[in-house]
Amino acid sequence: MKSNRKASLTAAILMLQAAVQSPVLAGTKRSVADQWSMQVGKVEPGRVNIEPAFRVAIYENLLDELAKTKQFKQVLRSGDRNATGRPDLLILKTTVEEYAPGSETRRAVTTVSGATKLKVRTQLCTREGQIVLERVLSGNVRFFGGNLRATHNLARKVANAIKQSTVPEITPSVREQ
Amino acid sequence: MIHKILPPKQISRMLLCLMSLVCYHTALIAQNHDPADSPASGSTLRVTHILGFEGISNNATGDLAIQGDALRFQKSEGSSAQIAIGSIQDVILGEENKQVGGLKMTLVRSATPYGGGRVIGLFSHKKYDTLTLEYLDPNGGFHGAIFQLNKGRGQVLRSELEAVRAHVAAKHSGDQE
Repeated sequence: MKSNRKASLTAAILMLQAAVQSPVLAGTKRSVADQWSMQVGKVEPGRVNIEPAFRVAIYENLLDELAKTKQFKQVLRSGDRNATGRPDLLILKTTVEEYAPGSETRRAVTTVSGATKLKVRTQLCTREGQIVLERVLSGNVRFFGGNLRATHNLARKVANAIKQSTVPEITPSVREQ
Repeated sequence: MIHKILPPKQISRMLLCLMSLVCYHTALIAQNHDPADSPASGSTLRVTHILGFEGISNNATGDLAIQGDALRFQKSEGSSAQIAIGSIQDVILGEENKQVGGLKMTLVRSATPYGGGRVIGLFSHKKYDTLTLEYLDPNGGFHGAIFQLNKGRGQVLRSELEAVRAHVAAKHSGDQE
């Protein structure tokens, strides 16, 4: 009786593992995203008075984190001439909505104050302007690390959100262009 | 055990002495001007590359110098990278207040009893200049690089870049007065 239960449990685990590894279930989402290239646009300050160093750090960290996901054929920079005329291009637009500069010293002395907070709206658009994904995400540094670490945390969240989203398949008309 | 050897009054005195010693030491570290930090020659500055300069790892320390029509970053370990002065779109100055002492200091701070770590935190910080460079690569792709310099050196580099006709916008919200 006991050995029967063990055997059925092992069989169930093996079946589950096979299902996860199967290209039908695991590969569908990734193969769709793989068809696209991504262009990261400059970070727009919106109405927020954000330091230029933060804008640049968000932009550079986004490029790094998106490349790490290996979800896209290419991750291109804003203004890159290789992006012109590409039909398989998704454009990432980022606008800052909230920014609290914080202070590393205040964090060290008080623990509860001095946090650096960032909130951005990210839009993933096609070349035609159709929004594929829109999220409002935040990145903070509350305890350890420099202020710019908030930009790294934020970029990682944006990359994860894009990774977990379902990107539409490239239509044949786009493919023909 | 220690209570058996020393009376409590003496223990508190010892702790006070220890704390003031640590504070004094951290204040010395914060104000210490390493000879390596000062510029070696007219246009060579010792900087820390925070992020974004292509071909250079984050947090690398090295020399930033204007050589002919290029801005060159030479890492301490040997490798280097450079960009054309003409490709620079903007140079923005900022200011950062950072903790000194790294992980060792963080450990000492957290191990100090009676909230002494917070007192150490008050003294163990140093002001730096940050220099944000916005430039274009040969494909027209937008890049942003952030460098950390000793206080006062940022303006020197910016003036030098202005002198060699790098494109520097008049004033930014993040710029120092």
